[in-house]
Amino acid sequence: MSDSASPAVPLRRRSLRGLGPLSRDDLAANLGFADVAAEEGVADIMRPGALRGAARGRNLDSVAYTLFLRIYPVIAMVVLLTQAAIAWVNYNDQYRLYTERAEVMATLVAASIAQPGWNRDPARSRAALDALTRDPAFRYAALHDASGRTVVAAGQMPRTRPWELAHVSADLVPAGGTRAEGSLTVVLSTAALRASAEKQAMLSLAISLLLMLTFVATLHRTVRRHVIARLKRLLVAMREVEHKRWATVAMDGEFRPRNEIDVITQAFNNMVEGLRSGDEAKQLLRDLAAAHAKLEQANRLVIESIGYARCIQSSVLPDHAALDRAGIEVAILWEPLHLVGGDYFWLEEVDGLSFVVVADCTGHGVPGAFLTLIVATALDRLLHERGLRSPAAILAGLDTMVRAQLRQDGRGSESDDGLDCGICVWDRDARTLLFAGAGLSLTVIRDGVAERIRGEKRGLGYPRTGREVLPERDVSVPVAGATFYLMTDGITDQMGRPDPARPARLIGQKAVTGRLAAHAALPLAQQVAALEVELAAYRGPEVRRDDMTLIAFRPR
Amino acid sequence: MTRIQLPPTDRSPEVDFDFDGGRLAMRGESYPEDAAAFFGPLLQSLRGYLETPSPEPISFDLSLAYFNSSSAKALMNLFMPLEDAAAEGRPVTIRWHFAEGDDTIEEAGEDFAADFDHARFEMVKDVVA
Repeated sequence: MSDSASPAVPLRRRSLRGLGPLSRDDLAANLGFADVAAEEGVADIMRPGALRGAARGRNLDSVAYTLFLRIYPVIAMVVLLTQAAIAWVNYNDQYRLYTERAEVMATLVAASIAQPGWNRDPARSRAALDALTRDPAFRYAALHDASGRTVVAAGQMPRTRPWELAHVSADLVPAGGTRAEGSLTVVLSTAALRASAEKQAMLSLAISLLLMLTFVATLHRTVRRHVIARLKRLLVAMREVEHKRWATVAMDGEFRPRNEIDVITQAFNNMVEGLRSGDEAKQLLRDLAAAHAKLEQANRLVIESIGYARCIQSSVLPDHAALDRAGIEVAILWEPLHLVGGDYFWLEEVDGLSFVVVADCTGHGVPGAFLTLIVATALDRLLHERGLRSPAAILAGLDTMVRAQLRQDGRGSESDDGLDCGICVWDRDARTLLFAGAGLSLTVIRDGVAERIRGEKRGLGYPRTGREVLPERDVSVPVAGATFYLMTDGITDQMGRPDPARPARLIGQKAVTGRLAAHAALPLAQQVAALEVELAAYRGPEVRRDDMTLIAFRPR
Repeated sequence: MTRIQLPPTDRSPEVDFDFDGGRLAMRGESYPEDAAAFFGPLLQSLRGYLETPSPEPISFDLSLAYFNSSSAKALMNLFMPLEDAAAEGRPVTIRWHFAEGDDTIEEAGEDFAADFDHARFEMVKDVVA
């Protein structure tokens, strides 16, 4: 094949193996894609389903067909022209050789004839001419004398085209003489030459055809196997991708960076992976956005609902001015952690007695708020139905009622809830203050000195453990010059980092009462407001951990 | 018996109940939304562990910077079976760690201590260097 391929050097740029100096643009054009695009239009290819026909291979067959159609005639022409040129050169060479041979023969025969008196002995000349006739190409020979008269002739002058004959003549110069005494004309036929040239032409035509057939077969097979089959796989994958099925094309573990189809396949696979992950990311984002919207909606509902719950809880709390006519100054800080909470307080004047109650129910938020409602109802019944007036008695009553309400009295309750509670009763006429606490203490600041009157440490409610101790009697606290504070542990349990290098720690009772004592001269409302600011400063970036309630009061 | 190890979260302490070694520990802050859900399984395991009488000593180290009242109640519930085991003769030591100057935690420890008659309840002041 190399013989026929060599004249086709320019064609190497269209090498089917796709290697060598082929640029990608050339590839697209050479493979006939440019024509395909021109015929079908890019828009058609991008149309959904447009790849379907291509995937069945119709368009790809046309690629092969175009390829063959363009390459075959060029190769055929080059092969034929080359062979013709070779034949022509051969023919000319042979023709020249024939002529030379004829000249040599003529010269030799002429020399042998040119004896003195040659023209008187025609028989000898004839014998020399007869020797010439033994050459198969011989056609005619004639011996002429100086006047041009034919002395002897052999053979027949053929009547044929002059280029089929080698026609030579040699002078007869006798030995020792210088003047030509005659000439010998020899005519040889070159018909054998022509026959051989024709045979050669036929042979080269046959070889060309054979080469062509081999080339066609090889080309077709190679294109099918190395180009069309692989492009078909790509097209099938593309069609899948069109329908958002993220199919990639298997590379069979082989990637040749100089093979354009490998490069395209790889790029396609990368693109599919990119699309797939992009699509998945989009889907995830959509899911996330949907989930977020749902959460937002749910959160809004919850917040709205809790906001309304706060209205209800606030309306259960007493008017802050409830004890205004009772001759005591009162300041209140009530701040649930989550809008509503488990902290509860009550202020009421009954029969000349002022009741100040602070309760910290288990938990905060909605569960805590539920408990405060139980406590509120129980307290109301104890004060108004049972007419209890002693703080310790009210605590005992609350304990029983809450326990009953939560079925913690041995009827198999799951509830492990209860409350801390502190109660002060101020008798304006007697100017006495009674206190009883369960898990909640009374802080008294008098002349800048803080004192803590601790209640019993167990709270109210909770399933019985046999270790509960309720306050048995009320503690009477001197009121002269004193300011009183009932606070839930949410006030003192503020986590903060006074030293940023160390773990967060609680501010503690002492620090809180210290700060209150520092502001002892201020009106109570300002004291409480100042404390709230100081607590926030102590917390810094730490969040609050609990609901907080502080009731400060002092007899006027 | 399976060791219980829980990493700390925002609202719950780090827990390491190494029953086989007789060493229990709890460290951090405790104010879970649902104290029963957090402490319930711990209490169950502790009770299960103490069911089998054994002379092996038990220690329980608590180092809490903050706990809410539900957690306090839950701690009480954890302490009770330990006190009962101590009453039956098993050596039980509870070490209550508090940071120097943290009166609230120190007082809470003292309150807990008052409930123990048989188990040894040690107050450990962690002095920060």
